[in-house]
Amino acid sequence: MWLPILGLIIGVILGLLTDIKIPDEYSNYLSIAVLAALDTLFGGIRAQLQNIYDEKVFVSGFFFNILLAASLAFLGVHLGVDLYLAAVFAFGVRLFQNIAVIRRILIAKWSQNQEKTEKN
Amino acid sequence: MDSKNKLSFTFITVVIGFMIAVQFQTVKEPVVRDTRDTWQLREDLLKEKELQLKLLREISSNEEKIAQYETKRKQSKEQVLRETLEELRMEAGLSEVTGPGIILTIEPVYEELLLGKQVDSISPDLLKRLVNELNMYDAQHISIDGRRVINTTVIRDINRETMIDGYALNRLPIEIKVIAENAQSADKLFNRMQVSKSAEEFFIDNLRVKVHKPEDPVTVPAYDDALRIRYMEPVKPEEGGKS
Repeated sequence: MWLPILGLIIGVILGLLTDIKIPDEYSNYLSIAVLAALDTLFGGIRAQLQNIYDEKVFVSGFFFNILLAASLAFLGVHLGVDLYLAAVFAFGVRLFQNIAVIRRILIAKWSQNQEKTEKN
Repeated sequence: MDSKNKLSFTFITVVIGFMIAVQFQTVKEPVVRDTRDTWQLREDLLKEKELQLKLLREISSNEEKIAQYETKRKQSKEQVLRETLEELRMEAGLSEVTGPGIILTIEPVYEELLLGKQVDSISPDLLKRLVNELNMYDAQHISIDGRRVINTTVIRDINRETMIDGYALNRLPIEIKVIAENAQSADKLFNRMQVSKSAEEFFIDNLRVKVHKPEDPVTVPAYDDALRIRYMEPVKPEEGGKS
């Protein structure tokens, strides 16, 4: 459980230490990629809690979502339509749903635990 | 969750963390505080003003240049007229001409001098013939003994003296300078003059025409008298159009 959080912290530290900066015109792509990655991450956590976690789905979903989001943003830039908003919307909605599901599962687990302790 | 799954999950989280950090750094504009005091600000302002002054000066000089070019363009008609005039003057023989050409020297035959014959002048007919021959062989500008030969030049006998435009040709040797169109035609002229007939006819008069190799440059002086054109009239435009 703690290893992924440690990995997140390591990644953040790595990113801050390397001092990499993306040119302004590409920051759009990166932001949407970050959103996609977060969506996949929370999806993974939810699947894990629901015991339907599949490593292949998770890893492929991660990269595929990032690529799809970035290419959608790219297409939007070239068509003059803000297509990346579609990605933002889709990922945003899914992010909320996933987090809601995680919250419910956690609450259910927590109340179950409490009932158990009360019984004991 | 087995350890393999955990590993992939960790890898993904590392990547996400990295991406978030990079995005954060990109979006976050480092706020640089302006810590200059009044005097530093003044100095900077002075520097900028100097730069501005310099640029303004450059602009004005460039504008001046543009204005100069503009006036030049306006004057270009005059320039064309001047050029035409200069061309016409050159053709008429009123200006000094320099170019590739040959030099001929007419000198007495020394062997005859030894025999006691007196050679004092050239016959005008021979000289005219020579000039005609030169003209026939594409000579552009000719001068005889420093006198420019133009369209109205007369070579004739006055009181037993050969005169060119009123100047006597009584000193031998006489130098004839000829300018051709270019170096090639100068060569051609040289070759033709070497086998010219008039040279033989000069020899009958005890004179020898020496043709020197083509030179560049040969300078032919300008015609220095006023041109008298008594019988010339400009063509009237309507009559000129009909003909």
